[in-house]
Amino acid sequence: MGIEFRRDERFRESFSYRNSDAGVLRFPFPFGEDRYMYSVNIEPHTRGGPSPAFAHAFDVDEHYVAECRERALVLADDPGRCQVLPHMMPAQWDTLELLMESLSADYPEHFSLTKDGDAWRWINRPLGLDQSFVFGRPETLPCPPFEYITRQAQGDFTLQDQRDDNLFVDGGMVTTQADWSLDFDIGMSFHEWHGPVPLAHDIGVFDRALRFLLRLQYGQPVRRLNWTMTINPRLDTSPENYPDWGPDRTTVTPENVADKVHLRVELQTLFRLPRSNAILFGIRCYLLSVRDIERVEKWRKRLHRVLTTLPPELAEYKGLTRYRDTLIAHLAAGDDGAALSPGIQPDQTALAARS
Amino acid sequence: MIDQGIKSRPTYEALRRDPTGRRHLYLCAGEGPAPDALSDGPLESWTVAPAAAEGTLRRPQGEGERRFRSSRQLLDTLGRRLAGERMGLRLYAEGPEDFLWDVFGIAQDHGLGRSEVFLKQSGTLARRVQCVHCKTFNEGVTTTIVRCAGCGANLFVRDHFSRRLSAFQGVKIDAEQPGDVPQAERAYP
Repeated sequence: MGIEFRRDERFRESFSYRNSDAGVLRFPFPFGEDRYMYSVNIEPHTRGGPSPAFAHAFDVDEHYVAECRERALVLADDPGRCQVLPHMMPAQWDTLELLMESLSADYPEHFSLTKDGDAWRWINRPLGLDQSFVFGRPETLPCPPFEYITRQAQGDFTLQDQRDDNLFVDGGMVTTQADWSLDFDIGMSFHEWHGPVPLAHDIGVFDRALRFLLRLQYGQPVRRLNWTMTINPRLDTSPENYPDWGPDRTTVTPENVADKVHLRVELQTLFRLPRSNAILFGIRCYLLSVRDIERVEKWRKRLHRVLTTLPPELAEYKGLTRYRDTLIAHLAAGDDGAALSPGIQPDQTALAARS
Repeated sequence: MIDQGIKSRPTYEALRRDPTGRRHLYLCAGEGPAPDALSDGPLESWTVAPAAAEGTLRRPQGEGERRFRSSRQLLDTLGRRLAGERMGLRLYAEGPEDFLWDVFGIAQDHGLGRSEVFLKQSGTLARRVQCVHCKTFNEGVTTTIVRCAGCGANLFVRDHFSRRLSAFQGVKIDAEQPGDVPQAERAYP
């Protein structure tokens, strides 16, 4: 049985984006405790775990077709959202191979890859693509290999080159980002591109994370969750288009807060690539409205506690300041203060009807 | 407002001669001269005439000295020079931050490594600011907020610096509440 894709969704204008009940329950809720603070929080990206979103190397869900269409719209407006520095061609092919092999193995009803030496054939049924090409020969694809395959995947991707005991963000496909610019950051070292993040530098998070990632092994990918909030189910919250989406943050009222405010979770995965020794960084974005979060008792209460204890620097950096109090006031009524189980799992298998 | 706690900003140390180099080239966005710590041996020295010269050029007499009408002209000449260089050259650049990283970028394009180029900020602290929305470069910015010459947005000059672009990032300050633009402060004289 395949995934039923919600093909008519839009992440702009009409914002016709919804999660099915199963989609709500598979959401990778990012808070395992009642308080949130930065930490390295990296774990092996092994199949299984507390969220079904961890079940595959690259998670595909009901929003796949609509997210690929949204990506194409962003790229049509701004081709600079996909850039790879010239020396990264081996990493481009590594990425194409990893994604094609993973998707076809994990979702054989939707994707297939057949190889005859370097002559490959790729079939993407949800998007209606059937492409024969020669692996290693860019001219046999309609666009460069990294762009070709990441146009067919959910979430953003960056390529990190490893040299001088450091990682450099030397390429990426970045159309669903939480307010950072690939066009500005491309070529930066690890600490440079994380420069704007508050607090974490001072507690050594980036030093430890870099040391860990420099030793990342092929075949042993890792993952972590990161989060922010977004007004409306908008994927393209880029700094480039901030003048267009920034005003949304002033539109939150007690009446619309549950429908307007979305928890935005990034499932970040890191894969060592075999030929280039580069690292592929996947940033898979999930959006869930506060109204849907409230249908899971544990998540509703925990979100309230996390927001009330969040350091102000983090609230500012994540852009929550204008509507945080409205959101906390809304959630307060649903939190009786009862102890919650540790971990991110929802602790229920069915949902109440939407309120 | 001036120290935003952002960690992508470079820091600079005084220039010192690298004894592992075989040839040494000092590049200055101003009139020089090269610091004494570099002059302990043969040194080429490229400098730029002051704006008061209004395009006239008095050529220096010293061995290995060259003078340019503008830093733009110096950078263009550097590119041509490096195209024919061999291993062993060390570059020392002194001047405003955008000049330094322009030098660095040209050096990288011609195969010099990070450890073969030395940079020291001096002179004006004015910033090159790239508008993140329309990608226009705004040169010589001395204030915390600048109106973008490209799209007209009032940009907050963020302390986020790209060595590749030799530029700071400018972000529309009133994107969320259009018209809510604080008074700009002179911060980068």
